Amino acid sequence: MTSEDISSKYLQVRNLVKYFGDDKAVDNISFGIDEGAFLTLLGPSGCGKTTTLMSIAGLHTINSGAIEVGGLTYTEPSSSIFLPPEKRDIGMVFQSYAIWPHMTVTQNVAYPLEIRKLNKSEIDDRVAETLSLVDLTDMAEKNATQLSGGQQQRASLARAIVSNPRLLLFDEPLSNLDLKLREAMRVELKRIQNEVGITSIYVTHDQSEALVMSDEIIVMSKGNIEQSGEPVEIYSKPNNKYVSNFIGVANLLDAKVEKVTEDGSGEVTVQYGEMTARLPCRIGRGVHQGDEATLSVRPENVHVSRDKTSDSSIEGKVENVIFLGNHVDCRVNWGEYEWKVIAHPRDRLKEGEKIYLRFDSDHTLAVQQ
Amino acid sequence: MTSETYDTDPRPSRMSNRFRALWTQENVITIIVSAIVAIAVVLPLITLVVSSFLVLDDLGFSTEWSFGNYVTIVTDPIIPKAFLNTLIICSGCTVLATFLGVSLAWTNARTNCPGRTWLEPFNLIPFFLSPFIGAIAWHNMGEPKTGLLNNFFRDIFGIEGHVINIDNIWGVIWVTGIFFAPLVYLFVVGSLRRMDPSLEDSARTTGAGLFRTTMTVTLPLVMPGILSGAIIVFVTSAGEFGVPFKLSAPYGWETLTTQIFTKAVGDDANHYLGATMAMALGAITVFLIWIQRRYIAPRSFETVTGKGFRPNVLDLGSWKWVAFGYNILFILVAVILPIISLLIVSLHPVWQGTIMLDKITGINYVKTLFFWREESIDAATNGIFNSLFLAFVGASISMVLALVVSYMIHRTKGFGSWLLDFLCVVPIGFPGIVLAMGVLVTYIQTPIYATLWILLLGYITRFFPYGQRNIASILLSISEELDQSSRMAGATWVTTMRRITIPLLKPGIFAGWILLFVIFVRELSISIMLYTDGTETLAVGVYYLTNYENEPLTAALSLAQTLLCLICMIAFRRLAGKEALSA
Ligand SMILES: Nc1ncnc2c1ncn2[C@@H]1O[C@H](COP(=O)(O)OP(=O)(O)OP(=O)(O)O)[C@@H](O)[C@H]1O
Ligand SMILES: [Mg+2]
Repeated sequence: MTSEDISSKYLQVRNLVKYFGDDKAVDNISFGIDEGAFLTLLGPSGCGKTTTLMSIAGLHTINSGAIEVGGLTYTEPSSSIFLPPEKRDIGMVFQSYAIWPHMTVTQNVAYPLEIRKLNKSEIDDRVAETLSLVDLTDMAEKNATQLSGGQQQRASLARAIVSNPRLLLFDEPLSNLDLKLREAMRVELKRIQNEVGITSIYVTHDQSEALVMSDEIIVMSKGNIEQSGEPVEIYSKPNNKYVSNFIGVANLLDAKVEKVTEDGSGEVTVQYGEMTARLPCRIGRGVHQGDEATLSVRPENVHVSRDKTSDSSIEGKVENVIFLGNHVDCRVNWGEYEWKVIAHPRDRLKEGEKIYLRFDSDHTLAVQQ
Repeated sequence: MTSETYDTDPRPSRMSNRFRALWTQENVITIIVSAIVAIAVVLPLITLVVSSFLVLDDLGFSTEWSFGNYVTIVTDPIIPKAFLNTLIICSGCTVLATFLGVSLAWTNARTNCPGRTWLEPFNLIPFFLSPFIGAIAWHNMGEPKTGLLNNFFRDIFGIEGHVINIDNIWGVIWVTGIFFAPLVYLFVVGSLRRMDPSLEDSARTTGAGLFRTTMTVTLPLVMPGILSGAIIVFVTSAGEFGVPFKLSAPYGWETLTTQIFTKAVGDDANHYLGATMAMALGAITVFLIWIQRRYIAPRSFETVTGKGFRPNVLDLGSWKWVAFGYNILFILVAVILPIISLLIVSLHPVWQGTIMLDKITGINYVKTLFFWREESIDAATNGIFNSLFLAFVGASISMVLALVVSYMIHRTKGFGSWLLDFLCVVPIGFPGIVLAMGVLVTYIQTPIYATLWILLLGYITRFFPYGQRNIASILLSISEELDQSSRMAGATWVTTMRRITIPLLKPGIFAGWILLFVIFVRELSISIMLYTDGTETLAVGVYYLTNYENEPLTAALSLAQTLLCLICMIAFRRLAGKEALSA
């Protein structure tokens, strides 16, 4: 995103740099989001997601750059601006939920309103309203320690949204829940966010969570932004090998770009062991003729057949077939490369069988390495 | 990083950014508190070092700079012997306390010794009582002519002379040994309880017998705990003043602490020489504590996992009654006999070695406790008031300091927090009498000298680290996110402390407070250096009575102090739970 793009946004993070001692945790990143949108910071452990979030929250001081929300500058070291966390009007949901164990659910949720010195009846109304929004009305007088993980999560969310803050921050809020509950909470969380319409930043290392919930995803690695965009765009048009590897499952092959045409398509050659193939594909951003690139093919975009149906089909040997009900996961050996392929149970693939693989050139992408 | 990106490195601007961000509520408060702690700890120690190089001339008026004091402590006729006696006492005490502590912890944690759950609190009682009182009680029992036990043996067995004589260096070892045994016990019992039983089981399955397994697996695993405990006992006994003062010094066995005391007060006072001896003692203890923290304490985490295992319990067969008897015997000599002997002696108008039922009286309690009565002794009644005041105010201030300092070290983690962490360890390395010597030479020319405030300062400086450790351990166990979410909810640092952090730490704060209260109520070695007429403390009152009055009066006040400590101990166990003291 260029700086002009950012300057029109509700939340703006410009050239953020954060050191811990001599280690750069966040290396000059910039991004912005529109009011009411849901942005996800996605990346592997240690890539600087939490650090970015904490910098926005004011729980860390940053080394340089600027953070601005709705026209209010939160921090900008170059002009010595640092708004303490309590002045930033942010709701935050932590990984450990951080529900205060010495208070009831109601007391927990009322706390931000008490701090803002609302009068008693208004507090009661707002708390009741928020608890019903997160479906915790029955638990209102329970002590925080008597709640289940999922309920603590809801209470924590209620506490974050009750004061209707400028911004909502989530740091891996679902990672302590079991799989079933996590999937249910994704939908629930997104519903509530939609309803209250508060601009949100969500941190996770779980790509499926990011794909389901976000309006926009930022993929990070080692303190840098690798790619940002809508979930569909990130999934179908990854900028580089890193992103396509991190989001979803992909066959990633070393390729040499042979031809690039005006309309963004082209051809690459791939070679593994004895086998070579020249495949038509789309050419990703920043990839030029003659480059060494990575060819990315999603398993669901590999078609199998027993006959050679196209010139660019390649022949492989079925290695491993796992029947998963509605589809079949299989591996196909081609030279020294092992393709991940999703086939239909109807195809009745057998291990050891010879098979042809065909690729849809629209869904085959050459990206930067 | 290439040189090109290095040119645009933003770090130069960090300083000004930091500086602006410094003036927040939390930083202002923590900086003030840190400064107070730094001054309180560092100033006496620096003055101590400086004073040790000042030599007093023969007339005692002016001083000059030289190493003269260090020469004196080597050539003096008494001091080298006192040094040797201290070493003997420390070694003997360490061996005895370690043996008692380890064996009691093992029977309690790992055998089927009957009644082990209710025996444990009794094993820990000496930890809360004053060894000085223990020495007084044992003097009443083991004095050759008037000792209760000696009389008892003479009557029963018709022996001439005496069976035991407590008034010598062995008596000091005996009393300090049994009183410091709980220290070792506490260091060892936790790791014995938490030890992963599969470690021992796997040794047994390789064919090693029970004895082999204990010697080759169990013992090495708890060794760091044992060594830590032994070092702490060595250091504590090196700084112990009351016991040698009562049992050995009057009979010709001076120790370093009794010598430092004579240089601090009285006609012979020479603060500079006292400071030099304190330096020598402090150097040894600091060195040992450094070894313990640097090399031994870290190892104990590697060997014993902290999970909630149910340890193997050894069936002792009929030997379990021997173990039971052994434990009862310990409680008898460490707790019950001393208290009974104090009670008996305190009920007599004068003590001549035999119980005289027709002479029994409460006059000693009237004289030492009933401050409104004409015949009450000021030194004793003053002591009660002063000690309660010092303990109450001292524990409160210490806990406030401890809270802020712990927060600074483990939460803010900013600027200077490692220094604070260090400053909180330093006082633990110095015996009370050494630190008191430093406080004395630092503040002797200021208005706080000869007031209760100098005592308060000494108490807090020496002992607030104990409170700090109490709070820090709880602070580390509660998530930082609990504070952070309060900040995000819009609360300032002070509000967050008041409404979130302090309520969560409450049990730890109370437990630490009571622990300090007990320590202050029985405190002797700092008080004895810093008190004057009117600022006596309870322990100083006892010292006064044993020195200038008689044994029954001493016993009465001693018992009052003991009772106070016992009540605190019960409160502490209620609040802090069973494992609170374990290392
Ligand atoms: N308080 C700190 N002190 C020193 N280094 C830190 C601190 N917090 C984070 N780091 C370092 O900064 C880098 C980024 O950490 P960060 O917590 O932002 O990662 P993350 O993307 O949130 O990872 P995770 O998914 O594991 O939570 C890491 O290398 C980490 O070691
Ligand atoms: Mg994180």
